[in-house]
Amino acid sequence: MLCEKCNKNEATFFYHENVNGQVRNYKLCADCANELQKNGELNIKDFTSSPFDSIGKFFANPFKSMDKLFSGVFGETPSLLSSISSGRPAAKCDCGMTLNDFLENGMAGCPSCYETFENDIEPTVKRIHGKTVHEGHSPARFREKNDLKKQIEKLEKERTDAVSSENYEKAAEIRDKINELKNQLKGE
Amino acid sequence: MWFGNKGNDNDVAVSTRVRIARNLSGYPFPGRLSAEQEKEICSKVAEIYKGKEWKINDLSKLSKAERESLADKHIISRELAEKEGMSEYISNKAGDVNIMLLEEDHVRIQAIEPGFNVKTAMEKAYKAEEILDKNAEIAYSEKYGYLTHCPTNLGTAIRISVMLHLPSYTRAGQIRELALQLAKLGLTIRGEDGEGSSASAYLYQISNQITLGVSEDEIVERIEKIIGQIIEGERSMHEKLAESSKSAIRESARRKYGMLMYSESISSKELTSYYSDLRLAAASGLIKLPVEKLDELMIRSKPYTIEAEHKNTSSPEERDRARAALVREIIGNAEI
Repeated sequence: MLCEKCNKNEATFFYHENVNGQVRNYKLCADCANELQKNGELNIKDFTSSPFDSIGKFFANPFKSMDKLFSGVFGETPSLLSSISSGRPAAKCDCGMTLNDFLENGMAGCPSCYETFENDIEPTVKRIHGKTVHEGHSPARFREKNDLKKQIEKLEKERTDAVSSENYEKAAEIRDKINELKNQLKGE
Repeated sequence: MWFGNKGNDNDVAVSTRVRIARNLSGYPFPGRLSAEQEKEICSKVAEIYKGKEWKINDLSKLSKAERESLADKHIISRELAEKEGMSEYISNKAGDVNIMLLEEDHVRIQAIEPGFNVKTAMEKAYKAEEILDKNAEIAYSEKYGYLTHCPTNLGTAIRISVMLHLPSYTRAGQIRELALQLAKLGLTIRGEDGEGSSASAYLYQISNQITLGVSEDEIVERIEKIIGQIIEGERSMHEKLAESSKSAIRESARRKYGMLMYSESISSKELTSYYSDLRLAAASGLIKLPVEKLDELMIRSKPYTIEAEHKNTSSPEERDRARAALVREIIGNAEI
């Protein structure tokens, strides 16, 4: 996709702003983004050639709505700000959503989109959250699976210890237990 | 109902909300659902929350004012109140847990408590979430956690928002600095309801921005710690102010109270402009007025809520008269 300002360079900078329902979208190359920033149109402070390398900076100052905040008028935080690093914008999820649409609208089409585009959206997720792997609660059906996995990991360790101390009988017992748990995991 | 009741740190904190977003596997996100799928999801979730404790509410049967009033009271979001087509929410008996259907996500569970009380709001919201988890297949990935329509909610998919009254931070010109500091910690601050007019009431909502890669416990811990500090900061400024200009503040608050008591007609704007000074004087102990009653007044005097709860209030003039009566009803008995 080409930059919508110069129509020459590849657009690598995607800007979505929603200030009290007034939406502005830009698809720009780094040079034009820099220029707009200098003109004050994007008003992203701390803007450098690689503007969003730090999550602190990302949330510290980036949006026009933040300036309005100080005069007492509040804007929505942009839902998603992304720069595509993926080379397959036409990739499609079963629900019909393309990667390009996903990144442009900042909204997934269905839960499976996250699996279909798992690696493609990772840089975007990192820019939003600073991290890319979930921590914390999981649904009950995953908790059971996780518990089983943890038990297996623990037993694997015990088996290695048993083998290295030449306690083969114990190692065999543990191996049987591991197989049993693995079958349970498969059966889920 | 949460408002009108006392809560922790009520002198600065108005309310604490926890919102958990959940989606059902096998369906597109709202906005991409067929009418049939919308119906299917609503009846599936309604079936899960059946029983004496829960009530299903069909928003399409309510008037515009009634829907918007639910948003004034933070029972549902403004987005759901204004959504066209199928829209429902499920509420518990106490009215402090509400489950929105087909908002931005299939299901959004909200718990709200008066004052600053993250733990209770979390407990109530997660109790309702467990019911859904037991009975439905929730969209989840081991990498990205709970899968949500917007990637900004991935991971835990929880948003904890605390509404604070910050007149001293505002007057000291420190909101900007506060916003910058909060941003570094993954939190945001905005005016109540995101509406421009609310800033004159000096009400702000602080919430967690980051939901992925931090556990629920860490989010709670961070919010409790940081907001606890902000409350302390605001409180110490209240105390200083109360020491240095005690009689001026009391005099100004009493005059405002008098104006409100003897007016036959009060506009929303006028009431809002009095609210902050009265709340500050009440929170500093300079007048005897329960702050939670002032907060209740702020909600129940909003235009849509007046229209929804009082007869013959379709014009602004009629609402202004109803508002004056409401002021006397809610804070008229105070011996300030």
